[in-house]
Amino acid sequence: MVQFNLPSNSKIKKGQYYKDKTGSKNIRKVNVYRWDPSKNENPRIDTYEVDMDNCSSKVLDILNKIKNEIDPSIAYRRSCAHGVCGSCAMNMNGKNGLACTKSHSELDGDIDIYPLPHLKVLKDLIGDLSTLYKQYESVEPWLKTTKINDKENIQTKEDRAKLDGLYECIMCACCSTSCPSYWWNGEKYLGPAVLLQAYRWIIDSRDEDRKERLKKVADELKLYRCHTILNCTNACPKGLNPAKAIAEIKKMLATA
Amino acid sequence: MEDKNPISPHIQIYNWHISSLVSISHRITGIINFFAITLIGLWIASLLLGEGYYEHTSSFLSSFFGKFICIGIIWSFTFQVLSEIRHLVMDLGYGFEPKTTKVSGLIVLIGSFPISVLIYTTGRLII
Repeated sequence: MVQFNLPSNSKIKKGQYYKDKTGSKNIRKVNVYRWDPSKNENPRIDTYEVDMDNCSSKVLDILNKIKNEIDPSIAYRRSCAHGVCGSCAMNMNGKNGLACTKSHSELDGDIDIYPLPHLKVLKDLIGDLSTLYKQYESVEPWLKTTKINDKENIQTKEDRAKLDGLYECIMCACCSTSCPSYWWNGEKYLGPAVLLQAYRWIIDSRDEDRKERLKKVADELKLYRCHTILNCTNACPKGLNPAKAIAEIKKMLATA
Repeated sequence: MEDKNPISPHIQIYNWHISSLVSISHRITGIINFFAITLIGLWIASLLLGEGYYEHTSSFLSSFFGKFICIGIIWSFTFQVLSEIRHLVMDLGYGFEPKTTKVSGLIVLIGSFPISVLIYTTGRLII
C-alpha cells in the first residue's frame, strides 16, 4: 500500500537556529535536514544564517562553509565537487540535483536542503542507496561477449553514437529518488537510473546478450511502473533523459 | 516496518512540474471517468424503465448542480483524451525533451478547458 504520509519517527521537528556571527549584511537563511543516529530523536530542520559575501557560488560551498565555520557536526557526502562523482546528490528547494553544480543564485528565497527523497536516512543528508545498488547489480552492467580478441572490439560510429546520453550517467540517484513510482514501489520497480543503465547495455552493439537483457527487464513491476511522470528527466543534473531510455526499452519490447 | 532510521521526506517537499501535474491529473480523471461512464450507463439503462425516469434525469441535468457535473465530466474526458494523445506520442519515443514535455503538458492542461466549453456549448445547441 502506498504510504503518502511520513511514519511517526520521520516527522520533521523544528531544530536549532544559528544566528550569523560575522555581522555581514548579505545573509541567506539555509534550512538543513538533520538526523543524528546516536540520539533517539526525530529529524529536525536546523536553520543557518550564512554570510553570502564570503561564499563561493555553489550550494556545496554553502554546506562546506557551514561545516567549516558554523556547525562541524553536519554530515553530507561529497567528493569531486565538479559534477563527476555524483556523491553530493541531494534535494535543494524541492528539486534533486548535485550540490556541487547547482548555483545558489538559481534558487529563490531561503534555501531548503533535504536528503534525496524517500530513502532510509543514515545521517543528516546521507541516504541509504543500497537497494538501488543491488538493483543496478541485477541488470548486470558489464559487457557480455563471447568474442575474445587480441584487438579492439570494433563499433561503427553510428553504433557508438547510440550510447551518447547514456554512458554519461554517474549514478547519483537524483532521477530515481525524484520518481513517485520509485517512492511507492522502490523495492520492485527498478527506477530510472537503473533502467537507463539497463538500456545502455541493451543498445550496445558489442553486447551479445540483448534478448536475455530485454527478457529480464520486461516485467510489470520492474519496467512498466514508469508512467512518464518525467520527474527523472527534469531532475538529471547531467541533462540526460532516463524517461526516453525507458520508453526505448518499452518500444523495443513492443516491436520485438 | 517501523525502522529506527527515518525516511527522508518525499511528496511533502518535492516540487511539482507540469509533467508530474499532468500525470497525476491523468490518473485522477481516469478514475472519475470510470465512475462517469458507469453513471451514464445507468442513466441510459433507466430510459428502459419509461418516460418518468428520463424526465427525472433531464431535470437534474438542467439544474445548476447537474450542469456543473456535466461540464466536469466533459472536462475530465477531454483532459484524458488530450493527455492520452500525449502519452501515445511518447510511447512512439517522441517528445521527451524537457522543453517539449513542458509545452505538450501545457497544451493538455490549458487546452482541455476551451475544448470542454466548445463541446458543452455545441451539445447545448443540438439538444
